[in-house]
Amino acid sequence: MVETLYSVAHTLVVLLLGLLGPLVPGSGAYGPFLAVWLSYLVVGALVFAVSLVNVLVFIWWERKLLGRFMDRRGAMHVGYAGLLQNLADGLKLFRKQPFSPREADDLGYYFGPTAYLVISIAILGFLPISFGFSGGAVPLSLLVALALFSFAPLFIFIASWSSNNKYSLIGGMRTAAQLVAYEIPLLLSVVAVVALTGSFDLNVIVGDQAANGWFAVPLILGLIIFFIAMLAEVERIPFDLPEAEAELVEGWSTEYGGMLFAFTMLGDYVRALIGSYLIVLLFLGGWSMPWGLSSFPLSGIVFFQLKTYAVFAIFIWVRASLPRVRTDQLLQIGWKRMLPLAMVNIIWALALVVWGYPVIHWPAL
Amino acid sequence: MSEMWINMGPQHPMTHGLWNLRVKVDGELIVDVDPEIGYLHRGIEKICEYRRYNEVVTLMDRTCYVAGIAWEQLYIMAAEEALNISPPPRAEYVRVLSQELQRLSSHVMWYAAYVQDIGLMTPFLYGMRDRDLILDLFQSYTGARMTYEFMRVGGVRNDVPVGFTDRCRKVMDWFDQRLPEYEKVCDNSTIFLERTKGIGVLKAADCVNDGVTGPMLRAAGVDRDLRRDRPYSVYPELDFDVAVYDAPDCYGRYRVRMEEMKQSVRIVRQVLDWLDRNPGPVLAEKVPRFVGTPSPPPGKEIYVERRGYPKGRGFSAMEEPHGEAMAYIINEGAEHPYRAKLRSPVFVNIAASKDYLVGYRVSDIPAIMGSVDICVGESDR
Repeated sequence: MVETLYSVAHTLVVLLLGLLGPLVPGSGAYGPFLAVWLSYLVVGALVFAVSLVNVLVFIWWERKLLGRFMDRRGAMHVGYAGLLQNLADGLKLFRKQPFSPREADDLGYYFGPTAYLVISIAILGFLPISFGFSGGAVPLSLLVALALFSFAPLFIFIASWSSNNKYSLIGGMRTAAQLVAYEIPLLLSVVAVVALTGSFDLNVIVGDQAANGWFAVPLILGLIIFFIAMLAEVERIPFDLPEAEAELVEGWSTEYGGMLFAFTMLGDYVRALIGSYLIVLLFLGGWSMPWGLSSFPLSGIVFFQLKTYAVFAIFIWVRASLPRVRTDQLLQIGWKRMLPLAMVNIIWALALVVWGYPVIHWPAL
Repeated sequence: MSEMWINMGPQHPMTHGLWNLRVKVDGELIVDVDPEIGYLHRGIEKICEYRRYNEVVTLMDRTCYVAGIAWEQLYIMAAEEALNISPPPRAEYVRVLSQELQRLSSHVMWYAAYVQDIGLMTPFLYGMRDRDLILDLFQSYTGARMTYEFMRVGGVRNDVPVGFTDRCRKVMDWFDQRLPEYEKVCDNSTIFLERTKGIGVLKAADCVNDGVTGPMLRAAGVDRDLRRDRPYSVYPELDFDVAVYDAPDCYGRYRVRMEEMKQSVRIVRQVLDWLDRNPGPVLAEKVPRFVGTPSPPPGKEIYVERRGYPKGRGFSAMEEPHGEAMAYIINEGAEHPYRAKLRSPVFVNIAASKDYLVGYRVSDIPAIMGSVDICVGESDR
């Protein structure tokens, strides 16, 4: 049994309750119940904190790197090298009054971005950032993560339709079309990885890579497909059509301001974080490093984060150097190029399995 | 989804100014287009009737905010014809220098805005940064970066400062390096080519019928440039090629502007050499005094006094960065123009938008309208 973040939290909570319990007379009856729910709370808070800190640093990383690509410096003034700029921006948005347009459907208007952010952060509970360091050690963690990942278009569509704005509506429609089109090559390139490892457990997938070498080498095609599909899934240039600011103002989030806008923005970056995590986990060996570099305490987490930021740097690089494609071109790339390539990738992966590629399966170690 | 009208503007990232493009869409397809302008109408032509000749120059700067000095010269040429004054040759050369620097800066600005419309963020900042070098040059001899107030009836306000020509040559050398780089960024990008080729087609015949001029016309393969075909100022003495391209789409317009920038650099070099060799005055000596004296404050003199100066009419046409601009000025012998009329190329180019927008997609609108190079101050006047 993999020792998870949950079990660590549970141990701590039980210890704490054991210490505090005698102080509150009659609390013993609720002990087990309290322990379970308090540990869920602790895990949730930890995942939330890790993801938010990561998102803040992600935005900072994007600002700085994008600035360098454009011969400027990016955020400079708040905090060291502008590190606290995002916090300041977040505070500014937090202080704004919430509002909704008069003709908007309030329920959907408030529900859409909130659910978008919540569902995005929920995914992070299933992605281990080091061995066993995840919200829960679900054997199907990859499947759960991808299933939650594909929820987003629904909420975006609800938000865009409820905004009662034509730009929002078009942006929402585009999002739905784009995310559905690129979901399929994304999942198919994951199928190749699953075929090699025979498991949906991300810990096992990383373990297999630690034993046999990163899947980026045998499945380079899959990595490319996954990367491009992920660019589309997280709506970044060149596939940022849903919020193509030149024609759709701000796309599906046009009518949002204040904290709700912050939710949409945070949701986008959380999804970018998930995208980078998944690329690292599935193809770049997760927290494992060759030559035993990741055998030191905590070094797994550090290497995992470093890899994530390197992957996101490529996202930023693409953003700095490519224009935006058109809607029909986007769908053509998705259906006509990516889908057949993903099929080829699966066949290649199956051929590898037949030839007996993953020499050592991780549980056999 | 049934058809619906979308108001793109008056405040919309695509507009690059203050106008409203009403688009009727069927899903993503554009079915109908109705451009609405006039949000920036300041009645410049009417105000001209209450300003003395040199004061009108101030208004002309405000006509187009990216190519102010082009409009100054347009007006000044018409005014000089109406007043029957001719400037000294050195003034003409300084004017042409300003024209070509302005064309360069206007096209660089267009390039920056255009790649931004398509989604390329990096060259946007490259373009804006290099445009600043030209604005610095303008600042060094006109004192301003946008609203120059530099031209005068009978010449220009002042000569270029000492050492200006060398400084300007350095900037031109810099542009020699940068312009190929601009092209590389776009031409090596498959996505850019797919976004621009075959998009926003307006064939030569349609261009002529609609009165569309400038880079749009030349991109359609019509070899027409007023600098060569209806020569004004000292352009006949300068050596340059007219940029023509054989693709009436966004890509063709991009190619034409790129080539024009190179030609502008070429012209600027020739003018700088001439300026180095030929010192002299930059303002004609015989200019009627009222031209230069300020108008009385508003309210003091609404009635236009007739002083009995020789009457005349002036017409000028020139190749402005956006297209063919024209001005017509009637001098009824008063201190103020009796009537001033400006012809804005952008006004006509926007008016023709139905011909090059219908049938394309909503995602194409920024790519197409960007390639038109819109300056709303100019179309609304």
